[in-house]
Amino acid sequence: MKAKKILIWCLCCLINKEPQNSEESKLNSWTRGLLSHILSAFRFDTKEVGLFTQGLGYAPADYCPGLLKNMVLSLASELRENHLNGFNTQRRMVPEKIRFLSRVCIPLVTLPDIEPLVEALLTYHGYEPQEVLWPEFFDAVNEAFLLKKISLPTSAVVCLWLRHLPSLEKATLHLFDKLISSERNFLRRIECFLKDSLLPEAACHPAIFRIVDEMFRCALLETDGAPEVLAAIQVFTWCFVEALEKKNKQLKFTFKTYFPYASPSLIMVLLQHPKEIPQELWHQPLKHISEMLREIVEDQTHGSYGGPFECWFLFIHFGGWADIVAEQLVMSEAEPPEALLWLLAFSYSPRDRSLQRTQTMIEVKAVLGHLKKLFRSPTLSAKDLQAAAAESRDRDPRPPLCQQLIRRLILNFLLWAPGGHVIAREVITLMAPTDELTYEMTGLLDQTLYRWDHLCMEAPRSRKLARELLAELRSAGTAR
Amino acid sequence: MESLLQHLERFSELLAVSRTTHVSTWDPATVRRALQWARYLRHVHSRFGRHVRIRTALERRLQKRGRQDGAPGSAPVPGLTNFQALGRCDRLLSLRLLENRALGDAAYHYLLQQLFPGPGVPDADEETLQGSLVRLARRGSAVHMLRFIGYGENSVLEDAVLKTQAELLLERLREVPKAEAEGPSRFLSTLWDRLPQNNFLKVIAVALLLPPSSPRPQGEELELGTPKTPGEGGQELIRWLLAKSDVMAAFCHNLPVGLLTSVAGRHPELSRAYLGLLTDWGRHLRYDLEKGTWVGAESQHVSWEELYGRFQSLCQAPPPLKDEVLTALESCKAQDGDFQVPGLSIWTDLLLALGSGS
Repeated sequence: MKAKKILIWCLCCLINKEPQNSEESKLNSWTRGLLSHILSAFRFDTKEVGLFTQGLGYAPADYCPGLLKNMVLSLASELRENHLNGFNTQRRMVPEKIRFLSRVCIPLVTLPDIEPLVEALLTYHGYEPQEVLWPEFFDAVNEAFLLKKISLPTSAVVCLWLRHLPSLEKATLHLFDKLISSERNFLRRIECFLKDSLLPEAACHPAIFRIVDEMFRCALLETDGAPEVLAAIQVFTWCFVEALEKKNKQLKFTFKTYFPYASPSLIMVLLQHPKEIPQELWHQPLKHISEMLREIVEDQTHGSYGGPFECWFLFIHFGGWADIVAEQLVMSEAEPPEALLWLLAFSYSPRDRSLQRTQTMIEVKAVLGHLKKLFRSPTLSAKDLQAAAAESRDRDPRPPLCQQLIRRLILNFLLWAPGGHVIAREVITLMAPTDELTYEMTGLLDQTLYRWDHLCMEAPRSRKLARELLAELRSAGTAR
Repeated sequence: MESLLQHLERFSELLAVSRTTHVSTWDPATVRRALQWARYLRHVHSRFGRHVRIRTALERRLQKRGRQDGAPGSAPVPGLTNFQALGRCDRLLSLRLLENRALGDAAYHYLLQQLFPGPGVPDADEETLQGSLVRLARRGSAVHMLRFIGYGENSVLEDAVLKTQAELLLERLREVPKAEAEGPSRFLSTLWDRLPQNNFLKVIAVALLLPPSSPRPQGEELELGTPKTPGEGGQELIRWLLAKSDVMAAFCHNLPVGLLTSVAGRHPELSRAYLGLLTDWGRHLRYDLEKGTWVGAESQHVSWEELYGRFQSLCQAPPPLKDEVLTALESCKAQDGDFQVPGLSIWTDLLLALGSGS
């Protein structure tokens, strides 16, 4: 639309309202002719048709939209029936014609009237072994789709992406662009963007899933495990699993096709929805996950399931479990099981050697011990908490990831301990004096609320506190 | 109300003038006034769209005017022919002026400024005149480009063109005032006399094949209050065809066999008439002993091959039609004497050739 308008504007500028000589008159005449040609819809060469329409009192401008609609529908149904005509070569559209048609459609892609034809082209399956459509056609459609200039049914978009890899890649990058923009995106918004992009639904097709997953993996590696990317992967997986469940009856791919390098039993456990398991029993799947991961990670031969990074990458897809571990450890009265400690340490720092990890586990256990004593304390104060989280003087300083872990435990404590809400703000001010740490805290709170919503967890007091804290931190953040 | 009607009259005159060389006398001020009038009428359209009384009055005036301009019973003059057209009257006027070479440079320049203000002015929505003109231009280009995908006789384009013409015909039929019972017939007869007949016949056939719930083809707006009886147009066509035997004969003679079969399949009244004609044609053939085939007495009579071809096509149609045809053939055969041997009754021979035995 834009291009045509600009062209017309340019031509309008050439018109001289008072031509002084024959040259200017000629230019005017030429320009007028051109404008007339562009604007006057079209003229039909067939005399009969012209006479008919005139005889009925219609000008080309009147029936042009209707004609276009009929042509589009005609072409679209020809395409759809093409495979039915099989070897009846007379009726069949030859591949060259279809190719040409797709080429002709490139500049027309953003015209809403053309949508049925675009859809028919995208979903066209011929007998030819190679791609019959013009490559730039896919580019044009993809571009229009990403900029929302055309609306297509999901099935057509999936066809587009399956047939033209660059389009899929562009669509994913476009999504990344939106997710990792300057403004902090909260998980709800990320979910909206994801669903909007149609990628989770399209990813029900293993080929698409693998490509998108690979791009996420690259993004993760490039950004060194940025929390935004982690969050995006997590939400993407949520949406993807949701979409899969909806299609349960139609698609019959085993999970191995989506995660070919992962242990099938591990996937089955990770895919379990915590909602389906009573909260008291969450320890079991968590222990199970921990044991399986540990086995793979500590297997020196790196078996067939990849090294620690692969394991961890798989695990963070289902990131909800990692969050649940932290929560469970804080809430439970009992001695923290080693398996869960390991899992928590692993989820924060997958690359640690076993010595470092053990160190972390010891630190965490110590802090948890302190926290448990304070959990039901009626006279809870911020100082107590500070002391509980303090580093021990005679040991090496905690590595940053470990500090992060501890902060998370503290936050969970504040949300769940009966006396937590009283000291919450004070503690947070102490814990998160810098912008960066505030950012971290906001992320954690957002993640927690999102997870509670998805698990339909009732926890009115904790929820209220979390929401309030989140709101305060956000406004504090923007005020600075 | 009266002033509104007058306004309408004046604008219709203006519209008629806009295509003539008379516009050479127009200056920018005239163009401005013309555009203002058009805008006003467009406003009237959106304002009174649901107001049945005013709509009907306006529509009646427009149709009356349309008929006055030509000989009685002539086709409507291109221009404002119904209420719906008011919604596009500014576009109509603009297009006519833009194409009119007689319009002076100054006036033309002014017109362009009004229509295409340029990048500075925010184009609020597509409903502006500029948006409408550009959209129309885009659609025109699209039609041009898609035309190149023709593949010979069975052209996709040809089907679309016929279908569009059919939709236009039905739309006009809908507008013919129902008050006069002979209205539609007269209208169709006029068209028959004035328009290329072969094309007209094809269009009628396609119109009769359109799905019963054919949506309004040209209206970009929803038409409220118009009686939505899409099947009625088809009924009028059939009534007219059956009443005019010469047209019916041409219809059955000139159209492609397959098309006729489809139409007959859909409309039982026509299938009966068609069969009647076929039996009539059949009776004109005599058996030539020397050649061993059935031949017509005169050159204009339909040949055996053609007759057979038509019956064959009809017998390939789905049940009600197919059975009807066979029954008719059987009864003709019986009337002739129920011969089993070829060469005595054309009906026997046809049935034998069709291979249905019995």
